[in-house]
Amino acid sequence: MSYCVNCGVELNEDLTFCPLCNTPVVNPAAHPVSVPAHSAFPKEKGQVDVVKRKDLAILLTIVLSSTALTCGLLNLFVFNHMLWSIPIIGVCVVLWVLAIPAVIYTKFTLYSSFFLDGIAVGFYLYALTYITDGNQWFFSLAMPIVILLTLLLEIFLFLCIHLPLSSLTTALYIFAEIPIFCICLELLIDNFIGSALRLSWSAIVLTICAIIIIALITVLSRSRLRNEVRRRLHF
Amino acid sequence: MTKNIKRITEKDNWYKLDLSAIVYPTLQRKDFSSVYRLSVVLKETIQPTVLQQAVDIALKRFPTYKVAIRKGLFWRYLEPNQRPGPFVKPDIRNSCMPMPFKANNRYVIRVYYYDRRISFESHHSLGDGTGGMCVLQTITAVYLRLLGARISNQYFVLDVEQKPDSGEFEDAYLRYANAKVRPARPGEKTYRVRGTKEPFYTLNVINGIMSVKEVSAVAANYHATITEYFNAVLLYALSKKQESEWHLKIRPVKIAMPVNLRRFFPSKTLRNFISMIYPAIDPRLGDYTFEEIIKHVHNYMQYYINDKFLRGDITTNAATQQNPLIRIVPLFIKDFVVRQFYTKIQDCNSSAGLTNMGALKVPDDMKPYIERFDIYMGQPFSSRTNCAIVSFEDILTINFASSIIEADVERLFFRKLVQDGIHVKIESNRDMEVLE
Repeated sequence: MSYCVNCGVELNEDLTFCPLCNTPVVNPAAHPVSVPAHSAFPKEKGQVDVVKRKDLAILLTIVLSSTALTCGLLNLFVFNHMLWSIPIIGVCVVLWVLAIPAVIYTKFTLYSSFFLDGIAVGFYLYALTYITDGNQWFFSLAMPIVILLTLLLEIFLFLCIHLPLSSLTTALYIFAEIPIFCICLELLIDNFIGSALRLSWSAIVLTICAIIIIALITVLSRSRLRNEVRRRLHF
Repeated sequence: MTKNIKRITEKDNWYKLDLSAIVYPTLQRKDFSSVYRLSVVLKETIQPTVLQQAVDIALKRFPTYKVAIRKGLFWRYLEPNQRPGPFVKPDIRNSCMPMPFKANNRYVIRVYYYDRRISFESHHSLGDGTGGMCVLQTITAVYLRLLGARISNQYFVLDVEQKPDSGEFEDAYLRYANAKVRPARPGEKTYRVRGTKEPFYTLNVINGIMSVKEVSAVAANYHATITEYFNAVLLYALSKKQESEWHLKIRPVKIAMPVNLRRFFPSKTLRNFISMIYPAIDPRLGDYTFEEIIKHVHNYMQYYINDKFLRGDITTNAATQQNPLIRIVPLFIKDFVVRQFYTKIQDCNSSAGLTNMGALKVPDDMKPYIERFDIYMGQPFSSRTNCAIVSFEDILTINFASSIIEADVERLFFRKLVQDGIHVKIESNRDMEVLE
């Protein structure tokens, strides 16, 4: 039985500090290797259960699938002069795939859900070739861009997960990926319209981003600078 | 066929939220939990399997507690919940954590066991402390009976064989909201305790255990009741804390204290039937000595706690909910308005909460099995501390619950009790290493 020297209250035997004034309990008479005192409170902390968004998933699935179905049927039997329902059905499918990690199946890793999103968008664009003349634009422009974007997103994700994360490093990754994307985009466009492969506007982006990247790396590598920036810009 | 019929009648059965229950689900957020906890400490270690049986048996008697909270277009409502559960669980350190309405098989009650203690947590929209105490004591009685004890049905222990009385589900507010005038709600910014917020879902608890005889002797010295005495001590602690800090503007110190309306308006209801009163002192008028505070609190209680004033309060509260314009507003707009009102006005209206359940009546043949009771109020919006008092036989427990690191109010409170010659024993779940 111990008393707090400041507050004068008796303390339960498991307390090593007075909870009121934070004074440590010092009892010279106590045996140093005594049995640990029985705590009045459990050690484990509880977690609030995660709510399953099953209702939302069902609702979303029904709304999207009925939209796709009715548009498809209307296109088949009523307004059947052209394939106008393909973009609508495609959008429904893409939206549904985008909703998978949020409400339908939450156990996917971020990598695989981004991968699925990329595939869905790719298929959507491919479906559009049925209502345009030819599919040359898809194979030489749309598909490479989608693949490139998915790849860059996956790399960004990888960097964010496996390297130390802060707003400065995130900015660094973004500014490193923007010029890569722009250069590839310009080369793809040049290739598509049949002109020579030359850098023009993407070179400007590259220059600007290079300056920003060098500045960011400098700030990141000097801890004094880094802290200064964090202090001045915190929100 | 019979199964079908049964299902239909169960579906038809639903309950409107009572008048004060309406606000609680609206406020339920990650930083606010309108969950309260009632615990009973027995003399033997709890056997979980027997406790589970007891919960299953006892809850049949309480249809308004075996429910789920659902959303309608205009109001939320309670729907009987036939899903498996609620299951008893080993106790956790952070009691009264928020209850998402869709989790836990949609149950909004929880039962925990730890060592010799059974804890019952309930969302406040199901009922107040009196209702919850009926559930807890009935569960305890059934548990003890399953272990071979003979416990009679008396006071808070209800007969589990009996059919539930319809009077137990009533919204008793509406029956008594019949005053001819609607007194204005008190609205004034009060002193707010400042503190460092704890991370998510932490509830710091400090229990003070003392003897009822000692406390009532001290209170009698001041010519006050135990409730008045504790109210005065808390006001004293809060005003001392305000004095010790630097403030641009000194504000009045006010306590929000629920009053059990069943004392004044007969009702068997197990749902909410409480009204708030606000004992206060205003340090802007001058410095109060403790004797002056206790006299002031005593006079306030004598003046205010009677059926006339309380009826006026009930009428004011009911008028808002009964207003036809308010009734047809969709729920999400109501939610938004109520939340704004609560965070901006109601929460600023008091510096701390204090609830006193008083001396608990327990059937004579159950007394030998029980050591003491505890009550905790859930995590509030602001950095205030809530204080709950309950007594059983000669043991009086004061349970402080807060979500801030500092324990200044608690320290001032208990030191005052010690100064007045009361022997206080302290228990806590606070993690002291964190504080260095």
